[in-house]
Amino acid sequence: MNRRDFIKFGLSSLIMAGLPKHVLSQNSPVLSISEGKDHAATTINAINALGGIQRFVKKGDVVVVKPNIGWDRKPEYAANTNPIVVRAIVEACINAGAKKVKVFDNTCNDPRRCYQNSGMNSALKGIKGVELKFMEDERYKNVRLNGVALKEWELYDEALSANVLINVPVAKHHSLTRLTLALKNMMGIMGGNRGYIHRNIEESLSDINKVVKSHLVIIDATRILLNHGPQGGSLSDVKVLDRVIASTDIVAADAYATTLFDLKPQDIATTVTAYKRNLGEMNLNKIKVIKA
Amino acid sequence: MKITSSRISQLIFLTVFIVLFINTEYRGKDEISVAINSFFRANPLVAISYLLSTKTFTMLVFPGFLMLLFSLLLGRFFCGWICPLGTLIDIVTDRIKKTLPLKFLKTTFKYYLLFTLLFAALFNVNLSGILDPIAILVRALTFFFYPIIGNFIKSGWTGLYSAIGDKRDNIEFVYAFLRDYILPFRDTIYPSAFISFALLAAIIFLERYEKRNWCKNLCPLGTLLGLAGRLSIFRRLPNKLCADCRECKNICPTDFDQDTLQKQDCILCMDCRIRCNFKRVKFLSIFKGEHKEKKVTFVQGRRVFLESLLSGFFLSRAFVFRSPQEQENLLRPPGVSNEDEFLKKCVRCGECIKICLRNALYPTIFKAGLYGIFTPVLIPRLGYCEYNCNLCGQVCPTGAIPNKPLEEKKKSVIGIAVFDKNICLPYAKKINCIVCEEHCPVPGKAIKFELSEELDYTGKRIMLKKPYIVEDLCIGCGICENKCPLEGKSAVEVFAKLGKGKKYHKL
Repeated sequence: MNRRDFIKFGLSSLIMAGLPKHVLSQNSPVLSISEGKDHAATTINAINALGGIQRFVKKGDVVVVKPNIGWDRKPEYAANTNPIVVRAIVEACINAGAKKVKVFDNTCNDPRRCYQNSGMNSALKGIKGVELKFMEDERYKNVRLNGVALKEWELYDEALSANVLINVPVAKHHSLTRLTLALKNMMGIMGGNRGYIHRNIEESLSDINKVVKSHLVIIDATRILLNHGPQGGSLSDVKVLDRVIASTDIVAADAYATTLFDLKPQDIATTVTAYKRNLGEMNLNKIKVIKA
Repeated sequence: MKITSSRISQLIFLTVFIVLFINTEYRGKDEISVAINSFFRANPLVAISYLLSTKTFTMLVFPGFLMLLFSLLLGRFFCGWICPLGTLIDIVTDRIKKTLPLKFLKTTFKYYLLFTLLFAALFNVNLSGILDPIAILVRALTFFFYPIIGNFIKSGWTGLYSAIGDKRDNIEFVYAFLRDYILPFRDTIYPSAFISFALLAAIIFLERYEKRNWCKNLCPLGTLLGLAGRLSIFRRLPNKLCADCRECKNICPTDFDQDTLQKQDCILCMDCRIRCNFKRVKFLSIFKGEHKEKKVTFVQGRRVFLESLLSGFFLSRAFVFRSPQEQENLLRPPGVSNEDEFLKKCVRCGECIKICLRNALYPTIFKAGLYGIFTPVLIPRLGYCEYNCNLCGQVCPTGAIPNKPLEEKKKSVIGIAVFDKNICLPYAKKINCIVCEEHCPVPGKAIKFELSEELDYTGKRIMLKKPYIVEDLCIGCGICENKCPLEGKSAVEVFAKLGKGKKYHKL
């Protein structure tokens, strides 16, 4: 290695190492939002603004991408995460050297129809290293949560054992919680009688999110469901925004997404509870927003 | 067993039968093009019973009449060349030691059986599905064997996980293939599993008395085809056992109880022709050959006919009783609007139950009265009707469940949901829940809620969301009852919706 190469290598590695650190060293959480008709590119832009997927996914990692595939609805109804967004994330992970990317959700309607009609089956078909599997009863493990509402619950072991968990909800209306975003999307790794947690949903969701951390949150707001959620069924309830939000702070991501519905973060009890329990930042003026 | 044309045909049709059976399941497509219903649509017993009970005709059962026409020309070939139950019997019968034939079956019993069923149908009670051979076979497979095989493999797969954990992923593709293409998707236990199995087992058990015992002495479909076959333009020559050989008596699976060939019992397997040591046996058209066909007369014909008319009438009235309590939540598959019409058409083949995505449908035993046995009912707490699915209507062979386009099916009312405010959380305990509202698939929601500010039992001021049903929108799919998170009894239940001014169903 000659001197010139040494300097080049040294400088470039300094820059490489320095950039994400610069982003991380901020006290306030960082959130990126990008907008564009090309939803794959928009997704990647949002991730790149946070330092790129390689900041989260290392070579040989097992990654879980957890979209919302809960409903037997076509993509345009905004009941499930946009499959194009999911595919962009999955491909990015694989390009970053992920050993395996697992995509799954505990569906509300028939899992076969959900995986098919949500467009997930066709979007992820043929990509090497990705697994779109139905969730299996035997893989739920009873986990001690010692939470405020839930002492223990069955959680999906593949979500627990993954090196990286990427939480990819779609922004939707929900009658009980007003909105369903990233915090609530984690219900998809819960087994058992999930409806039980509706009795104390804010604390329960914080209990789950306290134990299972989302390393990266990407909220699909390419189109959002304004009413009759969480499964909608009418295109008149859907609003196209072409936006994708990304953050490492799950509360910040939810808080910011709330504004897309002309609501304030304080209006969403789930967000407020999570903030109070130190899961993240909900004050918009303390969040650093990067428009990508 | 010698490989003859009829054997090859039997094996081909058995394979087709099994392939269609496995194909009668949701495998990623919204349209099921071919299903096991083909075997019922080409079934003359189903066709005639349909005609008699509904007094109308439908193109769905037209192939059944074609089959009858072919049998009129050719004879009872269906039994020896096509019938999968017959093939099954042929496969096992050689391994069963025979005692002597049962005497009481050697009378006109089978005619009484057939005509009783047909007359009952004429009096609006269509029971032929209970004894139709294809239905018996499909039910035994659907309710007993298929779930057992599925469960067996699934528990093996689950057990493997506790043994080797994530290493199981390496052979995931094997299980994924089985699950996606062969096995039932869900583990289900059906209430009529044992009866369905027992009926088939009884038929096999009868083989210890003589070969094809069911086929020649009981089967109503076979008897019907035999009646048609009497007029067939083919006949076997010689029509008697030859005095110097009599080997046909041993070869023939159905006939030659007497020395003279009974045309209505001959299933045209051609074994006697192929195995005749003297090359004497011929199957010729009735217009050829030296012997003139003796005109077949039906002994005691009028008597059987009249007595069956009587027994059919009594049968059609003897099991009508239905308890009103059982009918409160007697839910039929989507699209069924009239219980009487449904019962006249239903073949009780179990296909709708097999294909039901969520395992919402179950064969009932007593719920619809005794004569409703094996007919499908929806049990929402076990499985709900998937909003975007109309597969049951697609596979129903007779249109008892109408094959409605999806948009129309989504508006078909199965029943109506009712809240039990004594246990529903917001009402009974002042705790918010509305899981039911969340799951309601009707765009615009058939479950809405009113907001009311109240003090809960700890004195805290809360916004309660109290759910209620919008009757005009509710289709009774049952997802609310299914997903209600209350342990045990659901706080919202679907009840049957009878016509205006009807308190309960009456024939």
